[in-house]
Amino acid sequence: MTQKNVTGIADFIARYLSYMLGAGVHTSRVVRNSKRIGSALGVGVSIHTSQKTATLTVSDAEDGIKDTRVIDIPAFPISFEWNADLSALSWAAHDRQMTLEEIESRFDEIVARPKMNPIFVLFMASLANASFCRLFGGDIWAMLITFTATMIGFFTRQHLTRKKVNHYIVFIVSAFVASICASTALALGIETAEIALATSVLYLVPGVPLINGLIDITDGHIQIGISRLVNAFMLIICIAIGMSVTLMLVKDSLL
Amino acid sequence: MKEVFWNSIAEYNAATWPWQIALTAVAAVIAVILWFRPSPWAKTAMKVYMVAVSLWIAFVYYMAYGSVRDYSNVMTIFWCLIALSWLYDLATGFSTFQRSGKSEVLGIIMLVLPLAYPFISVSRGLVFPQITTPMLPSSVALYMLGMLMTFNKKINFFAFILILHWSVIDISKIGIFDIPEDSLLAIACIPSMVIFFLQALRACDTDYKPSYKSIKILIIAVALILAGSMAIA
Repeated sequence: MTQKNVTGIADFIARYLSYMLGAGVHTSRVVRNSKRIGSALGVGVSIHTSQKTATLTVSDAEDGIKDTRVIDIPAFPISFEWNADLSALSWAAHDRQMTLEEIESRFDEIVARPKMNPIFVLFMASLANASFCRLFGGDIWAMLITFTATMIGFFTRQHLTRKKVNHYIVFIVSAFVASICASTALALGIETAEIALATSVLYLVPGVPLINGLIDITDGHIQIGISRLVNAFMLIICIAIGMSVTLMLVKDSLL
Repeated sequence: MKEVFWNSIAEYNAATWPWQIALTAVAAVIAVILWFRPSPWAKTAMKVYMVAVSLWIAFVYYMAYGSVRDYSNVMTIFWCLIALSWLYDLATGFSTFQRSGKSEVLGIIMLVLPLAYPFISVSRGLVFPQITTPMLPSSVALYMLGMLMTFNKKINFFAFILILHWSVIDISKIGIFDIPEDSLLAIACIPSMVIFFLQALRACDTDYKPSYKSIKILIIAVALILAGSMAIA
């Protein structure tokens, strides 16, 4: 194998793992899949990951050729589709002995697929929160108010994210807007108004980073696991700040 | 609760009726100018009016006369949010108040409907000052919805979803406070929701999934659920 081949493989694996980590896949899966692709192409792969960057070494043991690089991890939206399809790609590369060109072509096809329509996501997140409201005991009015309050909060989040506002500020503002809108249920004297208020911010809970953080720690990727948990807790604090402002304004206390 | 609600409306009407007439007249004049002679200053004037009327509802209706009601401060904050959405629009120039030629008849009906509020109240036996007027929160929201529907080339979407939220509150108020006049806004919000979301969907220039048809079905289904809830109320 020549240096050019190893560099080509390293280029691809660098892109592959940055897309997977950026899309919210837990570290051990990314490492496992990258090593599987490397093995299918006849090279060894070593990876060190952190929250914002990853270090990758691709080596051909027979010819003693190595290629090492540090990769920035881009911030993509959480994508279970990329998670599943890119994992399947690593198995396909392994099982069918695909060439680098074939793997790259398939990878480009997967990442070029259309994204979810933001209006569809807006509706689904609002419906999900209204369903949570029902699960926690909310009545039909509380559900409807949660639906539209979530819609306003989620729309605010989408708009501020498009404007590239700091994501902690986005979380604080979105939590405040959603909860203040949901608190209008209190003025109507709806029995389950407090359930509407509590469930209106659930769409902001960073479930994926929390789960990934725990999985990473239990799999031995302690550093990135802690980083992900700290990041998730920071977001939870932001939600709490947004909601606290509402509670202080509306109920004059946090309880 | 119902008595407190209607008494606060009566006090508000008795004290502010000249102002209400003036604000209604201003709304009518700016809408007519925008229709016949749209100009940048008329568009700005309309946005300034939207901010002013939202703050009027927040501070005069809810804070000054509605403070006897439970959690009236929540409504003050909510109407300040609506004012903020128009202020943001004023600053960024997002919405254009231009006619697109679509849904104009529906828009004009919505613009005229706030004037029907006092007549409906009187027809069901209420007497001034304990009647609904065009300067109550729901009728103002209906006017805003009418403006968005009539001049719908590029709308202030943030203001629209806040009004949609208000419509849901409205639906629940119909039964709680015995105010059937509010069903006008509730009825108007259903087609508006479908029209504006489908319009936003068509404006997406990137290739997205799921298909346009699937999202259209979802939007119509949610609108039907809202309409069903309204029927229950």
